[in-house]
Amino acid sequence: MATTLNINGQERSFEAPHEMPLLWVLRDILGFTGTKFGCGMAQCGACTVHVDGKPVRSCVLPVGNLQSRSITTIEGIAATPVGARVQKAWLDLEVVQCGYCQSGQVMSAAALLVSTPDPDDSDIDAAMAGNICRCGTYVRIRAAIKQAAAAQKA
Amino acid sequence: MVVRAVVVRSVIGAAIAGAVVALGAVWYVRGPGPLAFTGGKNVAVADYKEGDPTGVPADMRQASLLERGKYLAEAADCVVCHTAPGGRKYAGGFAFKLPFGTMYSTNITPDSETGIGKYTDQEFLDAMHRGVRRDGARLYPAMPYTSYTFVTDADALAIKAYLFSLVPVRAVPPANSLMFPFNQRWAMAFWSVVFNPDTRFRPDTSQSLKWNRGAYLAEALAHCGECHTPRNIGFALDNRKKFAGAPVAGWHASDISSDRTTGLGGWTDDDIASYLSVGHVSGRGTASGPMGEAVDHSFSKMTKTDIDAMVTFLRSVPPATSSGPSLKSAPAPLSHTDGATASLLGKKVFEGACVSCHGWSGESAVSKFATLTGSSAVNDPSAVNVVQIVISGTRRLTPSSALSMPSFGHAFSDDEIAAVVNYVTARFGAKGSSLTARDIADLRAQN
Repeated sequence: MATTLNINGQERSFEAPHEMPLLWVLRDILGFTGTKFGCGMAQCGACTVHVDGKPVRSCVLPVGNLQSRSITTIEGIAATPVGARVQKAWLDLEVVQCGYCQSGQVMSAAALLVSTPDPDDSDIDAAMAGNICRCGTYVRIRAAIKQAAAAQKA
Repeated sequence: MVVRAVVVRSVIGAAIAGAVVALGAVWYVRGPGPLAFTGGKNVAVADYKEGDPTGVPADMRQASLLERGKYLAEAADCVVCHTAPGGRKYAGGFAFKLPFGTMYSTNITPDSETGIGKYTDQEFLDAMHRGVRRDGARLYPAMPYTSYTFVTDADALAIKAYLFSLVPVRAVPPANSLMFPFNQRWAMAFWSVVFNPDTRFRPDTSQSLKWNRGAYLAEALAHCGECHTPRNIGFALDNRKKFAGAPVAGWHASDISSDRTTGLGGWTDDDIASYLSVGHVSGRGTASGPMGEAVDHSFSKMTKTDIDAMVTFLRSVPPATSSGPSLKSAPAPLSHTDGATASLLGKKVFEGACVSCHGWSGESAVSKFATLTGSSAVNDPSAVNVVQIVISGTRRLTPSSALSMPSFGHAFSDDEIAAVVNYVTARFGAKGSSLTARDIADLRAQN
């Protein structure tokens, strides 16, 4: 099935079965390999991308359900002001250890700061609990989100 | 002598009175038939002037016997019960866990030793209509022969022809482990006398051909009542409460009467048709568990005209007037801080495992199949279906873009499952559940 999606501001056309999850389209067909495969069942958050600005697990999202919605991946998030601030905070605090989950962490954090510019700890829990990090960088993630929020206010 | 005659007479009198009372009790327990609610007159198919409501849909009448048999076998949903999880299709071994033991479905592939390969036409009809096996032993009504008894001979034999076209599978199901007295098969002969009408479908002259077609599909083939109608003290269907909803295998089969609150009374025709053919209606939830299987294997294969006929029939079933919960059809707040928080532990589980698909509002950003808003499961304060979905997950085969949910039964403790279910039903439903870990353990055991 021929499909056209707006990905990171560009129209991309490709052939894929209706039921193929978006993650496979991104990584295997279009080459956006920044988004990672973790569990394949929406339980770890590694594959998080934005669909119309909302964080979504791309490993379970059938591409046929997307139609004309716009997708943002880790490759495109720096183009948004919030995404740029999140990435800077991530670098400043050296959040990343092995890094495998971090594309998803950054995408979830950026979505959180758009909807909740000044999140408290419970807001961070509510938005980030589904993003698992086996290196245990949670403390630095929380600090980086707060730093990005502070930069947003300044 | 006079005294003795009086005694004898009063003993006989008491015996007759006792017999009358017993027969009256049996007659009362048996109750009305599945189509008695219309009050219409029922006639033989040949005497119904509007047309033939049995068989395959009109545009399939010219199809081969095997094609017709396949359609009817799918409409009767034989495969769901006659296939073990992960097993060969129709080879049996599916477990029915009952309060008084476990029984297993049989192999209905045409294997001559372990399947039905030696069944003659008459023997097959006896099994379908009377619940009698080839060796003369009685079937338990887990095989819904009190519904299949309404299937015409021609349709039953078309199903037989289809089953006989399958590849024979050599497979013997595990032995039943029913406790006394339920392990006494012969006793089912008496049960059948009372509870099996042993009659073929008789169209209702007060109703349209479309209604009668729907009635034939729903009652004879799809056997809706076997799950959706509560059972009486004899474990037979109590049609005084037709389609009022009932427990089945640890799940709750919903009220599908015309009740406006708990049943289908508030649904449009399109809602019901969509639920049957794709297992989902926007704002009303997604078929899961046994109903999801019925959609995948049976209703999704039916023609649109047959689905519409079933809708017409379902619409006519009077409200069950069960005092069920009201339905909350508005989404929950977008923020996690607003809305009901019935359990902090439940919220913690939800934000870690559930919210990424279901969303804080209950309206899924991933798939409409994952939207909780308006679902009958989250609006049922007993929450048994939510518990079963959390424990077992839900895997739908149709349509191909349907989303599956992983099972969490091994990931979370009974305490955590109770907490998240209480949280979910309070946040997204009309009235939250108040389940405990013990309730979860009980429901685990039933599935």
